Amino acid sequence: MKGKSFAALALCLGAVLLLALPLLLKSTFVLDIFIRILLFAFIGTAWNLMGGYAKQLSLGHVAYFGLGAYTSTILQVDFDISPWIGMVAGGIVAALASLPIGWLCFRLRGPYFTIATIATAQVLMLVFLKFRDFAWGAEGTTIPNLGNAPLMMQFEAKSAYYYVALGLLALGLAITFLIERSFIGYYLVAIGENEDAAEAIGVDAPRMKRDIYMISAFLTALAGTFYIQYIYFIDPATAFNFSISIEAALVSIVGGIGTLWGPVIGTVLLETTSALLQSWLGSRIGGIQLTVYSLILMAVILWRPTGIMGFLSELHAKHLRAEPAPKPEAA
Amino acid sequence: MGEALVIRDLSKRFGGLRAVQEVSFSVRENETLALIGPNGAGKTTSFNLITGFFRPDTGSITAFGREIVGLRPHDICAHGLARTFQVAKPFGAMTVLANVMTGAFLRDKRIEVAREKAREAIEFVGLSAKEGRPARDLTTIDQRRLEMARALATEPRLLLLDEVMAGLNPAEIDQAVALVGKLSQRGLTIVIVEHVMRAIMAVARHIVVLDHGQKIAEGSPREIVENPQVIRAYLGSGYAHASASEAR
Repeated sequence: MKGKSFAALALCLGAVLLLALPLLLKSTFVLDIFIRILLFAFIGTAWNLMGGYAKQLSLGHVAYFGLGAYTSTILQVDFDISPWIGMVAGGIVAALASLPIGWLCFRLRGPYFTIATIATAQVLMLVFLKFRDFAWGAEGTTIPNLGNAPLMMQFEAKSAYYYVALGLLALGLAITFLIERSFIGYYLVAIGENEDAAEAIGVDAPRMKRDIYMISAFLTALAGTFYIQYIYFIDPATAFNFSISIEAALVSIVGGIGTLWGPVIGTVLLETTSALLQSWLGSRIGGIQLTVYSLILMAVILWRPTGIMGFLSELHAKHLRAEPAPKPEAA
Repeated sequence: MGEALVIRDLSKRFGGLRAVQEVSFSVRENETLALIGPNGAGKTTSFNLITGFFRPDTGSITAFGREIVGLRPHDICAHGLARTFQVAKPFGAMTVLANVMTGAFLRDKRIEVAREKAREAIEFVGLSAKEGRPARDLTTIDQRRLEMARALATEPRLLLLDEVMAGLNPAEIDQAVALVGKLSQRGLTIVIVEHVMRAIMAVARHIVVLDHGQKIAEGSPREIVENPQVIRAYLGSGYAHASASEAR
């Protein structure tokens, strides 16, 4: 009980701090870093639902990021429909697209599944690249700048974008929290641990995977819309950038897959490191920051394959073992 | 008493290997039936066919009056057939309690209800002291117990146990035999694949013997240990007298 109220207090303090942060920050550069952290923590959270809990390692999540981005942009540029609506529409398009993609990819397991997801994302990028009439082809397009138009998801103050990203992350975490605490969370972990054993005790594994993939795709698409609105530009190379798929998986793996806070912790760690390295080293020797970044990544994966959260819960377990009555449960 | 499971002319081949050939047998409700035979006789394949992990080439399987060939494993479990695996497949990262709760969710999706039912099943197999442990830390016998608890939590009417006693020491076998007896007393129908003859004699009322995918004998334990064909294929000639007296 004590631990619970402490966690609630920490959560409240954290929330207040996050809400007040833009008021305290003068530099737009730092605010931009925070927006990136929130955005990638959100993408990681969406990825983690399927990649973390159910251990279906997708490296093609950018497919949904791009679909979300293109859906809202086409609706906005060609039909004058607000990106707020376009965002939800993009989510729905992505969720629907996940059905045939999942139908194909889930026939495969392990690394073959991962490769198939990469391929589907690449195919989608090529579609947007080659079919010019469809969506501006390789040139892409800029988003018409309307000045301060909150209804069109355009803001003069950078802090507004910060709050949108924060809202997205809160949504992702809330959904994860609810799933983790319901039977769905147990079912997903069971599928990730041993699919046959899960089937044997009545878990409809294909259906569970399909459903969680839809939710994950929907959320990832929201991030796509937001990102394009934030940078005012879209082209296939941006919207279907493979590094987004990688980042989604990496932040979760470094932070700890299958945990609520894993992707958030992972993003804070990786994004801050990369931003700091960039500003310290980037100007001196070209590319050095990427090398250092990769080394840090390798170190984490070698020494703490269960991620930061795994490390923390190991410490916690050691602490519990010292006490007489260990607390049961936790999926 | 009705028939819990009726298997007719079941066949399955893998390439050139005929794993199961036109096997027929049936299990009455509340009966414990043992499936025995040498390695590679088709026992585990039969289990996989019954529980939907493999699809038979020909034949029919009726469980509690319903044809179940073509159903997927989770549907078959929902129909009341639960199984354990020859090599235990615990959800290693989950605690014992969470493992069993996952089984309990089949009948009721509420966390509290599932936890209660899971605790009951865990207590039944005698694993209560370890309910907070991650399943991967359990010993072999405890992992088997866990598998049984997880299967029981799905509230089956028919339980298929695949070599739950392999690798156990004599004292543990006695515990396991007592457990199977307790399950049977609860009204469960049980099909058990086992090599430990002592255990089979103690729990089974009816035995089916497979060899090279074919049924070579069927009958009461007494009949089986005296059957010359079974002795030749499986038990070995020294067995007959010793075990026949033990069976009594």
